[in-house]
Amino acid sequence: MKKTILFIALTIIAGSIFAQKKTTTSATVSFDATTPKDAQPKAENKTVIGSLDTKTGAVAFEAAVKNFSFANPKMQEHFNSSNWMQSDSFPRFTFTGKIEKINKIKFNKDGTYSAKVTGDLKVKNISKKTIIPGQITVLNGKITVVANFTIKLSDYNITGQPIDGGKVSKEPNITMKAEF
Amino acid sequence: MTTLNKTHIIASLVLLITFFLPWVVWKDASLSGNDMPVGQFFAAAREKFGVDNPFPQFSIVFKIFWLIPAAAVVVIAFVLLTKNTFWLAAAAGLLSLSLVLVYFLFSNNLVNQLGVSKSVWSMVKPWLFIQALAAVTIVLSAGEEKWLLKSGLILVTASATFFGFNMISKQVEKKIMEETYESTDNVKTDFTLGANDLLKEFMANDSAANKKYREKVLVVKGAAGDVEIKTDSTVIIKFSDSTGSYIVFSLDKDQFEKAKNIKAGDAVSLKGSCSGSVYSEILSTTSISFKRVIINNK
Repeated sequence: MKKTILFIALTIIAGSIFAQKKTTTSATVSFDATTPKDAQPKAENKTVIGSLDTKTGAVAFEAAVKNFSFANPKMQEHFNSSNWMQSDSFPRFTFTGKIEKINKIKFNKDGTYSAKVTGDLKVKNISKKTIIPGQITVLNGKITVVANFTIKLSDYNITGQPIDGGKVSKEPNITMKAEF
Repeated sequence: MTTLNKTHIIASLVLLITFFLPWVVWKDASLSGNDMPVGQFFAAAREKFGVDNPFPQFSIVFKIFWLIPAAAVVVIAFVLLTKNTFWLAAAAGLLSLSLVLVYFLFSNNLVNQLGVSKSVWSMVKPWLFIQALAAVTIVLSAGEEKWLLKSGLILVTASATFFGFNMISKQVEKKIMEETYESTDNVKTDFTLGANDLLKEFMANDSAANKKYREKVLVVKGAAGDVEIKTDSTVIIKFSDSTGSYIVFSLDKDQFEKAKNIKAGDAVSLKGSCSGSVYSEILSTTSISFKRVIINNK
């Protein structure tokens, strides 16, 4: 019995030391859909969950739609409403993908690497293949991933007069930063 | 009875009846002319689209639109008694014309500003136009003279409503767009509770807890779990339970000075807007997040 417990404990300890899958619960994702006509549609979420497998290059992110924080109360309300993100029915934005040529990135050595991530971005239950250019920095054992890209709202069936009328950008800019 | 009198009576009847029939349909809410004086017009705008009545203090003034059906009835009686209906018919017709225009322009704004529908035409019902037609007819058929005055009143009312509406709606839009969230410090606290109790409540029944706490301002107290200071000086404080489920607070940047010395295990009191819970497939746990968070000093 004691041996079993010891074995399990050792396995857990060893597993956590050698784990290749790193996670965070405080990645930041922000988007900017502002236009010359309207400076309000932008928001930030600082409690995004992310994982990074340094061996396989698998990455995943989950952002609670309702935790995107806007400066303007009405804008936040409308963003979550049934006309836009329907956050009651679709509470998360998710991304699952893979860093290409992961073996070129030395996670045990300080340095900065360009990386290309290919994966699926899911918004309102619509998945779209997305290629995201990013940058990975390794410093004192800490891995920082940053990415900057745009998405087409029409890919996710997000349409409407405010977009056509130039109040909301057709291709908002998304920024992502995660520290593992 | 002259043709003009007959037309006058028909216009009054149509005005009266269509006042109570659906003019616009917003999602599943169908609204008649009567819904403006009843107060249902702005109640539906609030409920369906989160648009508030910009002038709640004037709600009582909207009762004036009951004059439309009331005057229509009296006009019919006056025609039968061969009395002069001019000003009564003008009042009913012009009020109705303004109201019809407001329904149309308001729905159009919902489409343009909020994107609630592809086009305004999918929201308006034929009764709106029949009401408008009856409104113009009741004015024009009031008496055999004063054609210039009658046409003038119609044109002036329509343009005044149109320009007045646009002016007010531009101002209201500007005001709404310039608004920002009040500092969490000054916002009324809806609930105060311990971090463990809040977690337990979400784990026991997440849909009930989400309903109760989402977008509400909470003060949450407890011993801080993980404390993380990000490179952009955001402080993140987490409370976890034994299953790994957690509550996470991302503090506003201006809280950095107050928050930078907090360590795991310290007793803290945090105030913020609850975003509810989501299940994480990555972590296989539930996470409850908060935005606009400050250290609670009160």
